[in-house]
Amino acid sequence: MHWIALQALPDAVVAGDAPESAPEPFGSAALAPADATAALGWWALQFTPRVAQVGPAVLLEVSASERLYGGREHMLACVMAPERPVAHVQHAQAATSLVALALLQTGMPPGVVEPDRLPLATLAQAKAHLPTLERIGCRVWGDLRALPRGGVARRFGAPLLDALDQAYGLKPEVYPWLLLPEVFDMPLELSAQVEAAPALLFATRRLLGQLQAWLRARRQGILALELGWQMDARRNTASHGQLLLRTAEPTLDMQHLQRLLGEHLGRITLPAPVLTLRMRSIETAPLPSASTSLLPDELHAGDSLHQLLERLAARLGPEQVLRALPRADHRPEHMQTWRAASAVRAPGNATAGGNTRRPRGTAAGTTPAWAEFYPTWLLATPLRLAVRQDRPLYQGPLALLVGPQRLEAGWWGKGGPDGHADVALRDYFLARSEQAGLLWIYRERLLASQAADAQQVAGHWYLHGLYG
Amino acid sequence: MASLPLVPASDANAAVWRADELAHASAAVLATGHAALDAQLPGGGWPIGALVEILQAHSGQNEWRLLLPALARARAGPVLLVGPPHMPFVPGLAAQGLACERLLWITAATPASRMWASEQALRCADVAAVLAWLPQARADQLRRLQMAASEHAKLLFVMRPAAAQAESSPAVLRVLVAIQAGSDALRLELLKRRGPPCTQALLMPARMGRLSALLARNQGRAGYAPRPLGNLSDSAAPVEATHHALDSLAGAA
Repeated sequence: MHWIALQALPDAVVAGDAPESAPEPFGSAALAPADATAALGWWALQFTPRVAQVGPAVLLEVSASERLYGGREHMLACVMAPERPVAHVQHAQAATSLVALALLQTGMPPGVVEPDRLPLATLAQAKAHLPTLERIGCRVWGDLRALPRGGVARRFGAPLLDALDQAYGLKPEVYPWLLLPEVFDMPLELSAQVEAAPALLFATRRLLGQLQAWLRARRQGILALELGWQMDARRNTASHGQLLLRTAEPTLDMQHLQRLLGEHLGRITLPAPVLTLRMRSIETAPLPSASTSLLPDELHAGDSLHQLLERLAARLGPEQVLRALPRADHRPEHMQTWRAASAVRAPGNATAGGNTRRPRGTAAGTTPAWAEFYPTWLLATPLRLAVRQDRPLYQGPLALLVGPQRLEAGWWGKGGPDGHADVALRDYFLARSEQAGLLWIYRERLLASQAADAQQVAGHWYLHGLYG
Repeated sequence: MASLPLVPASDANAAVWRADELAHASAAVLATGHAALDAQLPGGGWPIGALVEILQAHSGQNEWRLLLPALARARAGPVLLVGPPHMPFVPGLAAQGLACERLLWITAATPASRMWASEQALRCADVAAVLAWLPQARADQLRRLQMAASEHAKLLFVMRPAAAQAESSPAVLRVLVAIQAGSDALRLELLKRRGPPCTQALLMPARMGRLSALLARNQGRAGYAPRPLGNLSDSAAPVEATHHALDSLAGAA
């Protein structure tokens, strides 16, 4: 049996150290966890399944995994490596857990002190009897052990004797071993009431740090999480509020989540001051392991596309970040649909909707030959052009260059309220304007029922596209 | 002092830039697809990782024909359009080499959000190019974009009004684009480049590929007045005889 005891040092204790020299936990992108002891315990589960949390300390029983790590020395070096969720950690090791805990409390270097000379104050079970023990001259563990067992058991109770036996390795030590929770659910009581939603972000950082430790221990990435808050009940308003955050791909990048949360919190108005926060994981997924490259030029800096799209959508709104879906239709306005990028999962999937009639002779994914004559800009609503002396006007008279290209489509559709809004009966022309360059205009052809008399079948001129 | 590293004479000559010649390509460039323009640009193409400013009187009028050949050849990756003046027409762009799935349209309206979105896009590893329409950008904001573009080696084109040519700009390359009066040709003026000032304007054919051939074929018929539709079949007859695709579609519809 070999025990390692770890204890997280609060940042205030180590504030005297130069912060630059302190090892950054989990690299530079680290956040201090809300519950440092729990985070340390979750992280320690990678070394051994026998991890126990005793008060502020974490105990690891490592005798079974020493060989895997290449010996006791090397194992301790691995445990004390800077890659951990808590920046500053104190450690001690001994053959039994109680000695390790006592060494941790005294801060004495291990190996120097024999168990007999450890102060009695470091034994948890002796704490209640310390004044009495002091008066009978018992100051160290050896003094207590020299007393007759029967008398000690009668005077101080059996638990003290059991603890002493366990400390000397005469009795087995049993702990409730730490288990990694299936669902992350962590409340955080705020030290002060928070009035403004953006100020919650600071407290959220600590929850995210905890979440990161949990995700790393489970080797998973987060897909959806919920941030809830409880507000002052004395105000006559809603007492709860929550925010659901989703990412497109499982992520472990807390900086990204923090930016997303910041964007969402920036738009929330709190009706009452917030007292406690609560973060819950809704959905996680195994993290795809990224293979690293030997060659340095394949490393690319910056965040990935889905992170960019999520950040843009979080600030600008999802309806402002658009991706095109091509559609098979003859009517230009139906050839493409611009959808929110978050809603379009697989780009290039052309036949997403129901009314996708493919023009004859075009295979999927190929552009028809006449597509080269299409403009590069399309007006969302065709602009009706004025006509003077039978010539359409757009920033001056237009010269028709090529045409007509006749389009007669949409007769199969249901149409709008006026019955024939979807029907396109048009003659397209390429026209040139001195000011605006090359334009794509069309002249509407009227249905026979609409035309006032049989002779007049030509309708209005419209500007539909621009060659930019 | 004796241990100073000696630079070979050839390297030293290469490292000296004479003010009367074009700068060497210090970073990667992407050929523009227009030979006349390539000859006038340092390194022979659009600089990658630098701000290129395109100035024109009306936004939306000329940028695609100037940029599409290069964008079609740029490395695979999304092309972000930040605040374009009209709706991009995907079939037209795809026919010229810019595939549909590469296009992302950011419809941010305010100048600040456009600026922010452009900068975020430049910091993304996957993005290949950013096209931003920033009519009201200030020089310090453009400098931020220039820094981000050079840090992440991205193609960045900023479209601005022609009136902005008098303002100072951190752009590496500034191109004033206009339509040549009387024809549809493009007239490019390089307002700023790394090299001697470019004194004469460049004239470029207005259209590329089959569209220019189609326009040339119909040159003689330019300016005819539209007639009532009943007679239009006569005027369309010569076009039909050449069997180009426009008419085959019209026949199919």
